[in-house]
Amino acid sequence: MDARRLWRRIKHNYGPYLPLSPYLFIVLFPFYWMVITAFKRDRDLYNLDTAPFWFKEAPTLDHIKLLWYGTLFPTWLENSLMIGVLVVFITLLLALPAAYALARMRFPGAQPLSTAMFLSYLIPSTLLFIPLSQVVRGLGFIDSVWALVIVYPSFTLPFCTWLLMGFVRTVPREIEESAQIDGCTRFQAFRMIIIPVIVPGIITAGIFAFTLTYQEFIYALTFISASANKTISYGVTSDLIRGDVFYWGSLMSGALIGAIPVAIVYAFSLDHFIHGLTAGALK
Amino acid sequence: MEEGVSRSASAGAAPASVATVRAAAGAGWGRSEAVQGFIWIAPAFLYLAFFIAYPFVMSIYLSLSSARVGSPDSHFVGLLNYTRLFQDPVFWQTVRNSFVFTIGSELIRLLIGLPLAFALNRSFKGKRIVQGIILIPFVIPIALSSLAWKWMFDSLYSVINWMLMHAHIIDYPWQWLGEPGLAMWSVIIMNVWRGFPFSAVILLAGLTAVPQEVIEAAKIDGAGPLRRFHYVVVPIVRPILLVGLLYSVVFSFTDFSAVWLLTQGGPYNTTHVFGTYAYNIGINAGDLGMGAAITLFIFPFLALIVIFMLRFLRRE
Repeated sequence: MDARRLWRRIKHNYGPYLPLSPYLFIVLFPFYWMVITAFKRDRDLYNLDTAPFWFKEAPTLDHIKLLWYGTLFPTWLENSLMIGVLVVFITLLLALPAAYALARMRFPGAQPLSTAMFLSYLIPSTLLFIPLSQVVRGLGFIDSVWALVIVYPSFTLPFCTWLLMGFVRTVPREIEESAQIDGCTRFQAFRMIIIPVIVPGIITAGIFAFTLTYQEFIYALTFISASANKTISYGVTSDLIRGDVFYWGSLMSGALIGAIPVAIVYAFSLDHFIHGLTAGALK
Repeated sequence: MEEGVSRSASAGAAPASVATVRAAAGAGWGRSEAVQGFIWIAPAFLYLAFFIAYPFVMSIYLSLSSARVGSPDSHFVGLLNYTRLFQDPVFWQTVRNSFVFTIGSELIRLLIGLPLAFALNRSFKGKRIVQGIILIPFVIPIALSSLAWKWMFDSLYSVINWMLMHAHIIDYPWQWLGEPGLAMWSVIIMNVWRGFPFSAVILLAGLTAVPQEVIEAAKIDGAGPLRRFHYVVVPIVRPILLVGLLYSVVFSFTDFSAVWLLTQGGPYNTTHVFGTYAYNIGINAGDLGMGAAITLFIFPFLALIVIFMLRFLRRE
């Protein structure tokens, strides 16, 4: 077979994948490196003589053991998951009625309020962490996971409300009107008609609230100091660096295991996730 | 509910009767919408007022005061914090760094995001999985993935150096996080890695919004791929792209974690951005007033972006 035919055949079979392969390599290499590092013996890890891409000695679980038993990693994981779930709950509780009102009701100030909602999404935590540390201190929540539970909805709420407004608008008004004729109150119509119809939107909003919360770093760093109150992102990046010593094996194990919950949520909701991502920019 | 749906058909057929029934039923609908609207959004807005608006105002006050962490006596000092800031060479370096970091990251994201969006903008087997994998850096907490980068940029055991040296591209190990100019590049590289999937997804959403017929029509009219891109694709994609880009710019400009976790602003303050410098001064050194003043410099820039965005959206 001559070269041109071979090339044509490759192009035919793998055409769409060729331009994607460098991207896949760049995306995945850091994760591959995490896995290798997490299971390599120290002597193997710090051996510069041979190619570092595979195990020279048998893989080990020592780093994971140090992470699990030598640090408060299980507590951080628990904290992050608990905070995530509570924040999702609070966010939806506040965002659903707000989204419904802004999308459906006509009242003075509805337009400026929905613009304000949109803009508050753009106020970054970098601008607020210093005064918020004082607010949290004033409320008596400093150095407690509750500080994070009450503050985190400030960045999930605007986005989720905005997202849910789009979903509420897709529900035909006629369905609600018929409920009204049947004598439903507005709240009943909201609970029994709107909510069931926009379940996909609620799931999308919940996923976003959870991932944004789980990723958060600066508030946790600012408000928390006791190790037992740390979240995954903060705990792993602080407690496994002692002075100048980086416990690279355990650091990588922590990064890997810590990433699992978001990876699971993400894998099960890929379509919702991409939809939400583009909806945020398109609507 | 089924009953409700079937009735809605008849309701649509006789709108007059709907109006009368609505007026008769009352039940907290149309009549009191003004009051009800406020009640429904009150929880969300009270929350945001307390956790966004109030701290924002407070940071303006803090920036005009001598407040320090853990010290009860703070008094009004006027613009002292600002004048001190203007005389601080590190602050000016921070301003420059923030712009270099943001512009550098955004340009490279677009440059590598655009070909990716084109590559994804066709159907092939396993597209969903590929798309899912590409987005991973954007989903995994940056605090965790930054650890992998810190390890790959390690001064002694950098795997990137190993690869580059064995490929004979460099002949001595580079200090990725230790050399002033290079450290900024390292931070930008990680920020690009984390954000280009978002740019690509936004661009892809834009590309799929271009109807295939329009492209075909341009093809028949004899437009080459470059002209098609310039005259057909770009005008349609522009609004989506711009909003996506502005979001992305805001997030880069206000970034804290990427820089903090890789370099903490070092070496010699060459990677300090607003967020990290404010954290150093406001929290680590405990000078809340000065820290607040630094963060407030983000605001004019943010306001410009928002005004631009609202104007643009209104025009479209």
